[in-house]
Amino acid sequence: MSKKKVILGAQFPGVNNFTVWSDPAAGSQIDFSSFRHFAETVERGKLDFIFLAEGLRVREQKGRFHELDVVGRPNTLAILTALAAVTSNIGLIGTLTTTFNEPYPLARQMATLDTLSGGRAGWNVVTSPGAFTGANFRRGDHLPFAERYERAREFIDAARAIWQGGEFVVKSKHFDIVGRTDLPPSPRGGPVIAQAGDSDTGRDLAASHADLIYSRHGTLEEGQAFYRDVKGRLARHGRSENDLKILPGAAFALGDSQEEAEENLQAIRLQQVSPKNAIVFLEQVWNRDLSTYDPEGPLPQIDPEVSTPALAQGRASRVDDRLETARKWREIAEHEKLSIRQLVIKITARKQFVGTGETVAREINRYVQENAADGFVFAPHLTPTGFDEFVEKVIPHLQEWGVYRKDYSHGTLSGNLGLPRAA
Amino acid sequence: MTLDTPFHIGIGLDAGSRNFFHHETGPDGLLQRLDAAIDLITLEDRFARPDGGGLDAILFANWLGARTRHAGILAGAPVNVLEPFHVSTAIATLDYVTEGRAGLLAQTLDDEQIAAAKRATGPLNGYPADDRQSLDQDFDEAIDVIRRLWDSWEDDAVIRDPESQRFVDGAKLRYVDFKGSNFSVLGPSITPRPPQGQPIIAATVGAGNAAGGKADVDVVFLRTGLNDLPLLLKAASAVQPGLRYFADIDIDAGESKTELHWKTEAENVAARVRQWAFKGLSGIRLLPVRPERDLIPIVDHLLPALRAAGIGQTHQAKTLRERLALPAAANRYVHAA
Ligand SMILES: Cc1cc2nc3c(=O)[nH]c(=O)nc-3n(C[C@H](O)[C@H](O)[C@H](O)COP(=O)(O)O)c2cc1C
Repeated sequence: MSKKKVILGAQFPGVNNFTVWSDPAAGSQIDFSSFRHFAETVERGKLDFIFLAEGLRVREQKGRFHELDVVGRPNTLAILTALAAVTSNIGLIGTLTTTFNEPYPLARQMATLDTLSGGRAGWNVVTSPGAFTGANFRRGDHLPFAERYERAREFIDAARAIWQGGEFVVKSKHFDIVGRTDLPPSPRGGPVIAQAGDSDTGRDLAASHADLIYSRHGTLEEGQAFYRDVKGRLARHGRSENDLKILPGAAFALGDSQEEAEENLQAIRLQQVSPKNAIVFLEQVWNRDLSTYDPEGPLPQIDPEVSTPALAQGRASRVDDRLETARKWREIAEHEKLSIRQLVIKITARKQFVGTGETVAREINRYVQENAADGFVFAPHLTPTGFDEFVEKVIPHLQEWGVYRKDYSHGTLSGNLGLPRAA
Repeated sequence: MTLDTPFHIGIGLDAGSRNFFHHETGPDGLLQRLDAAIDLITLEDRFARPDGGGLDAILFANWLGARTRHAGILAGAPVNVLEPFHVSTAIATLDYVTEGRAGLLAQTLDDEQIAAAKRATGPLNGYPADDRQSLDQDFDEAIDVIRRLWDSWEDDAVIRDPESQRFVDGAKLRYVDFKGSNFSVLGPSITPRPPQGQPIIAATVGAGNAAGGKADVDVVFLRTGLNDLPLLLKAASAVQPGLRYFADIDIDAGESKTELHWKTEAENVAARVRQWAFKGLSGIRLLPVRPERDLIPIVDHLLPALRAAGIGQTHQAKTLRERLALPAAANRYVHAA
């Protein structure tokens, strides 16, 4: 059997503590030169796409702006369209919510990006409803949590109707719109659709509507289980396994030897989880002020506060069962003799590929060939140079083994990804 | 004769479905020649027009912004039918992409256009009713919010302080907490204060449309016949004296015009410009009637002829504010000690 091709996306370092700002090599998170450097680097590495996350409100902690992490980002579609002007092959995927956008303006913007980039546009569809983000928008908190995916599904259907070109008429529960577009219709029915929701409904939406999934499940076993689950849902929608690519988010740490790479990883993790950041992370579960605790000391014996609203606002992840989570963490910390900071470093670890360029490349390829993924979306820890080393040291091995392109052959994102032509 | 104060030349295009700059990208491409010869480019947005909406103008502006180095770029947006938060971050991004050459052309919509726009977006809460007064008020409010969001970060909010382990100083971020007649926006922006602090905001004012003339804008394009221009200019500048006023001039190249034609046309324009500059006009905006036909002769013949007649000297300026001789924008939330 021939080997699967590896798919690789590069996430521009985002607004969270994985992006290290305290390193002397850390550059501007907002200047265009940073985005340009990042885009040119990943295009030199022949990556499939650049990926941008989204958060439409500045994050808060205990009723104050969260100060410890990188914050401040451009408008997602605007920066991607600017990047389209200075690149020629790299895909451009932006995360955009269906809750605080409307189908006509957003579909027209996606079509604009697709036209100006020559077919390189992608949309990571997220739902992220709620009063916190709603406070920045005309419609406010207009959508019940339970209806988020219903609206998302109807939204994508509406966008696809608009992307057909010419007249569109959409009448559904959430939308009642009529109009006309004159942009050239996209050959495969519109930009590439990605999906990041993890719930059962989220996975179903991906199975029926998406071209790729950006997932949280990066380890071999979890990845394989997720892969089986989601690919297994495709037949019900008349789609084949090749129609939906599964790309977990992941990180990497490189070195000239395995030992050096492990040391580099430790140093990066300490930068990512500063003493204060460790406390803030714990506060998300305990839901109380823990600022008097020593980050290098043991976990609090006091139980989480469960009766009051969350202290942390504007984060993608939510903590469901506080008491149970706290109990589990105490157990891990006691068993492994970990301080608060060490525990947080352990708990918040994403899938990490650690080693020399060659060992990292080998692991990536193994995960793909063993169906834990079709590829990965890598988020480096430094802006804007965080991907340079990956492009120099990892990509050439994948190319040598024939599982990664040596040059672009399509110029469109769906072509890069090897998606079937018809949507 | 040369004018004493810099007199500006802009060009007005719309973001139709075609992008005439796509194929000519070399150092001598059309866009590069235009960029070198002009002070500013406006891109009108064709949101929900009956023949099709074309490209989104703000995004097209970001594409152009990355491919130009000199001209100011003002992106059109019908703010009555958009989210002010998205418009604010997108224009701030344009300002980062262009390193300070960004502006917003805030577009009003006539009755037919607003009806078509509402059919395309559906009936939604938080947007203005269809009557003129609601639309005008919402227009002013949207501009107000867009500007407040630009000021919601102080210039030095990012501190990267290892001592306190803080990337940003939260005391330098602010809720704008805007409550208008139809909507509210809390803030702060997700985008740091753009390079110009306040990118330029422009509006077009014609005989039948005064809305743009009352809003908090920096630049006004006067869209009227030549005979009515002095009156309109006088009326508008009496209400808002500190703004930069531009006269719109349609340019129709027709078929196969000669070098001599363009020389005469340039001299006619130059003669008018001298009179108008005297009366307080800051510039002209050339509107090619059919850009796919008229843009090339404008760039290659009319602009050089105007320059030869002493109009539109290219002056050195890094930002669009500087180019228009507008003062540096103070942050409304920062009070001098
Ligand atoms: C890996 C991953 C990345 C995500 N990134 C974002 C993001 O950048 N912006 C956002 O608003 N939501 C983001 N989300 C949130 C989801 O899209 C979704 O709205 C949320 O997870 C709720 O849906 P669910 O219950 O199906 O998970 C992300 C989710 C996952 C799993």
